[in-house]
Amino acid sequence: MKPASKISRVIARTLAAAFFVSIAGAQTFKRPAPTAADWAALAKLPDFTGVWEVQMGGRPAGDIINPAIGVPSMRPTQLSLTPEYEAKRQALMAHAEEDNQSANCLPPGMPGIMAQPYPMEFLLTPGQVTIVIEAYSMVRHIYTDGRLLPDDPDPNFFGTSIGHWEGDTLVVQSVGFTTQTEIEPHVPHSDKMKILERFHLVDPNTMMIETSVTDPEALTAPYVTNRILKRHRSWTIAEYICEQNNRNFVDPSGKAGINLTPPASATPAPKQ
Amino acid sequence: MSGGRSMEVSKSMNTIKKATLGAAALVCFLLVTASGALAHHGFAVFDTTSQKTISGTVKEFQWTNPHTWVWVDVTNDKGEVVTWGFEGMSPNFLGRRGWSRNTLKPGDKITVTYFALKDGKAGGAFLSFKRPNGEELSMWKGSPTEDN
Repeated sequence: MKPASKISRVIARTLAAAFFVSIAGAQTFKRPAPTAADWAALAKLPDFTGVWEVQMGGRPAGDIINPAIGVPSMRPTQLSLTPEYEAKRQALMAHAEEDNQSANCLPPGMPGIMAQPYPMEFLLTPGQVTIVIEAYSMVRHIYTDGRLLPDDPDPNFFGTSIGHWEGDTLVVQSVGFTTQTEIEPHVPHSDKMKILERFHLVDPNTMMIETSVTDPEALTAPYVTNRILKRHRSWTIAEYICEQNNRNFVDPSGKAGINLTPPASATPAPKQ
Repeated sequence: MSGGRSMEVSKSMNTIKKATLGAAALVCFLLVTASGALAHHGFAVFDTTSQKTISGTVKEFQWTNPHTWVWVDVTNDKGEVVTWGFEGMSPNFLGRRGWSRNTLKPGDKITVTYFALKDGKAGGAFLSFKRPNGEELSMWKGSPTEDN
């Protein structure tokens, strides 16, 4: 073997070792195998099973007292941006694209993905709550196994989420969001945005999700919204492949358009 | 907004006789979804200030995401057949509101109510349709009936 290739092999091995060390560092929490008691404990939690749909309107006006937890819910608030982020918002508005990037099938991240006019399903398993979101076929993983939030999370669309139960309320904290997502249309956030969500049943088939967004760089006060969801026992989550037949687009200049080329498979209309 | 509930129609009804109800629901829907919950995209390319109608023969009904598409052959005033494309709500949304992939079949004669494209091209946003026998179906019913 030539010395050069020997050296490159050593380098490759060293890099591989470094890679695995860094992976191991990111995955220090190892969830133990669930026991029968862990499965049985799920039966004592509120019944979140099934498919739920955010009610159109999404955001009831006024504050709602949460009887389930006996304290006032988080109060819906108006956005209060820092001067720096207000300027950024104004700039975004001034150069607003005619449509948002979801026209190009880029899914919204948090918090917008929780406000889509499509249903979501909650799955409770030991150590985890999984939310299957029909819009864009998305999934959120909320770890309830006692792990801590990462100190330096990779920024992503849904953040990294942990949860715990306070009585009958699932409390979820999420951090680590890419700045590609928005708090609201044209309302940007920093990489320090955090989201606190409280999920609880206000009656057997009505769920309320209270969402509080904080961001030390973008917001001067928490931005709080409430959403009401209704359960549909006869529904199942359907697939949603945005790229299947997406004819909408926003081009790089921000101009919205639509592709009107008829499908090649179009059946010829019967002769008249 | 209480539009969703007030616009519920009885479980057995697939048709909405009052087209204006559908349009009101659409406007309502657009308003609320524009506040951050827009399903797929905005309506920048459509003129939502007035509704138009056009009659033709269904060429194909695409039961696809993120939108259904209805392709309709329309004979223009020069006698030429032009295929128009109308973008509708998703199969997920419509499937829970009385529609199916068989709701429209090639050869069906329909009159489409739509928001026109601002650029004047042969297409638009599909609001509702009417058959020659008077049957009418809207894209924009409110919330589905509760089934919990």
